[in-house]
Amino acid sequence: MNPTNTLMNISKQNTEKILDEIKKLAKSIGRETRLMGLCGTHSQTIAQYGLKNLLPRNIKLVAGPGCPVCVTAREDIDAVIGLALAGMPLAVYGDTLAVPGSTESLENARQKGADIKIIYSIKEALKEQKIKPDLVFFGVGFETTAPMTAWAIKQGLRVYSAHKFFPPAMAALLKNKKIKIDGLIDPGHVSAIIGESPYKKFEIPQVITGFEPEDVLMAVLMLLNQIAEGKRDLENEYGRVVKKNGNEKAVNLINEVFEQCDAEWRGIGLIKNSGMKIRKKYSACDAKIKYRRTIAEILSRTKTKKTACRCGEILQGLIEPNQCPLFKKICAPENPFGACMVSIEGTCNIEYKYAR
Amino acid sequence: MCLAIPGKIISIKKQNATVDFRGIKKEVDISLVSAKPGDYVVVHTGFAVGKLDKKSANESYKYFDEYIKTKHGKNT
Amino acid sequence: MRAKKQNNDTIELDHGGGGYKSWELIEEIRGNMADSRRLAKKWQNCEDDAAVYNLGKQKLVFTTDAFIIDPIFFPSGDIGKIAACGTINDLAVMGAKPIGLSLSIVIEEGFSKKDLLKIIRSINNVSKESGVPIVTGDTKVTEKGKLDKIEITTAGVGLAGKIIENKGIETGDLIIASGDLGEHGIALLSQRFNCKSKIKSDCKPLNKEIGSVASYLHSCKDPTRGGLAANLYEMAEKSGARIILEEKKLPYKKEAFALAELLGIDIFSLPSEGRFIAAVSEGDAEKTLKILKKNNPEAKIIGRAEKASNKNSGVFLKTSIGGIREIEMPRGKLIPRIC
Repeated sequence: MNPTNTLMNISKQNTEKILDEIKKLAKSIGRETRLMGLCGTHSQTIAQYGLKNLLPRNIKLVAGPGCPVCVTAREDIDAVIGLALAGMPLAVYGDTLAVPGSTESLENARQKGADIKIIYSIKEALKEQKIKPDLVFFGVGFETTAPMTAWAIKQGLRVYSAHKFFPPAMAALLKNKKIKIDGLIDPGHVSAIIGESPYKKFEIPQVITGFEPEDVLMAVLMLLNQIAEGKRDLENEYGRVVKKNGNEKAVNLINEVFEQCDAEWRGIGLIKNSGMKIRKKYSACDAKIKYRRTIAEILSRTKTKKTACRCGEILQGLIEPNQCPLFKKICAPENPFGACMVSIEGTCNIEYKYAR
Repeated sequence: MCLAIPGKIISIKKQNATVDFRGIKKEVDISLVSAKPGDYVVVHTGFAVGKLDKKSANESYKYFDEYIKTKHGKNT
Repeated sequence: MRAKKQNNDTIELDHGGGGYKSWELIEEIRGNMADSRRLAKKWQNCEDDAAVYNLGKQKLVFTTDAFIIDPIFFPSGDIGKIAACGTINDLAVMGAKPIGLSLSIVIEEGFSKKDLLKIIRSINNVSKESGVPIVTGDTKVTEKGKLDKIEITTAGVGLAGKIIENKGIETGDLIIASGDLGEHGIALLSQRFNCKSKIKSDCKPLNKEIGSVASYLHSCKDPTRGGLAANLYEMAEKSGARIILEEKKLPYKKEAFALAELLGIDIFSLPSEGRFIAAVSEGDAEKTLKILKKNNPEAKIIGRAEKASNKNSGVFLKTSIGGIREIEMPRGKLIPRIC
């Protein structure tokens, strides 16, 4: 929450100036305008600085599916929990620990004695694998995190990949006629990897932006300006980090190790070509291949309960958290039902913490 | 969806750099970027994913200044 | 509003984390000790950092704490230092002058004797620095594998004139931090995640420092487990106060912000083992700060207390761009994240 991303100094004066211009544009637009913040880290900034309350009433900021933990398929969580309970040591990023699968979470499995190590960097997983050759790394994340997993696979790390490509989800969102969005705030660090070109095909106002409150407000201003002028451009407000061509080394690494596959997004459904599957060349590192039978057996045993959880609709900006019957009554950060409540970037988690 | 924070490269040894995050020094893998000591990199899970162009660190204001000039034909 | 409690059959790590779940467990434990509580009628403040027994001219203050930490040795401290300081400080924040500690150690078979004596010497140093003796103790050894290295429990007694209660915050009080917070947490996390910094653990006994300003303090706690968030929240809830902190005056070094962002953990949960937060009247704030700054020039005013209705008590942050948001109670262990 301190300005570390840009080395800029947050200044109330600057935010006030940007807000003044936003108010002018909002007035001239008049109608309700919905802007989707795709990235969970942007939702954090919006909540931490109370930006929603500073905007004019007709400008709505809606959260999107940019929380990789929230959209990891229940089957993937179940499979990895099953592997852990079957004796496979796991290495995971901390975010995934509390996500509920069909009946329990990785944390529950750890309490039952499963060997689950929380890591900050994938290099710790490689180190751990030297002592525990059966180690499986649970790969979760979009294009910002996938290059590290690709790098580690080349070093021989065995991985269960639940990594996803983000632009196909954007395409799916925009095709869904039930979802009304007038502009997109594109993810800052995914963009640092993939650059600008994957977004060019979307015919909607878009701004790639950084993570300071001024960045987000500037993105809102730039989107409203486009909307007022009837434009549908892609603008990059995060040029200090995001280059037009992105990070080619990282993209090449992803493409070398992973190929596209169809993937299930929790609560949303199957999105074509959105999953990262480990290529045949590296199949020795693919936990889904090595433990194919164990995983099939785990998934056949798992009974998925139908719940009233509406995370899927929340992730697509169709409803607000308080429209979910479980929100706050049963589902809370200390007792989460759905993934949106578990992740610090989950829409429901943020709403729960910051809505007072 | 991706926590990544900027730090300054102090020294480099092969693919690893010692990066200073405002007083916290950590080894960071820089194989995904081309960087030299003195550069600022943005770090995610122990890897540099991009460089922070310090000169354009105030770019959001540049955008605002340009917007005002275009919209209202004056300087802020 | 909080969701319905989960029915737990087993104790979880989060129950020991200092957040909501710890509170719930403690309530449940108290709920199962009705007879004992009935007998404790002459004891007061049993839900504060130490319990109080009125002796007439003075009050006896009594507390205990158990320590299992990993790693047992860290930059500028060890489990012995924390165990001694922890109990001395729990007495000090109640306004008591500690007069003696007990020391109970359970050691795993195979533990290095050299390490054990190093820990004992740390405790001796705390005794010297604070002026508080260890007057009784016990040692036990368990079979290898039945305990992770070493566990230390300390208990302490002190004498007080006026008790400083958690619930003592008054409307209009200013909140003071005796120095920059979270440095113990930074030191430990740096070690765990291979980061280097100048930050060392802030662990130290606070009895003399608090003693020098005790008459001005309305409420006081040391933000150990759970950090500023949990401890200030407890003071606010018990006092029925609404505390507003200011982003520009947050008592953390830039290294604390950097490490918290790097690892994706909540800075307000970082523990300190040698700092305290206190509420003082606006009139006494400058005097208090002047005295505290002799020990630590980083002592500062970090916020203010407003009157609260039951629904909006708690701890809130006024951000640099003018918004206000709540600082929430921590949930459990500090876990690094990628998102």
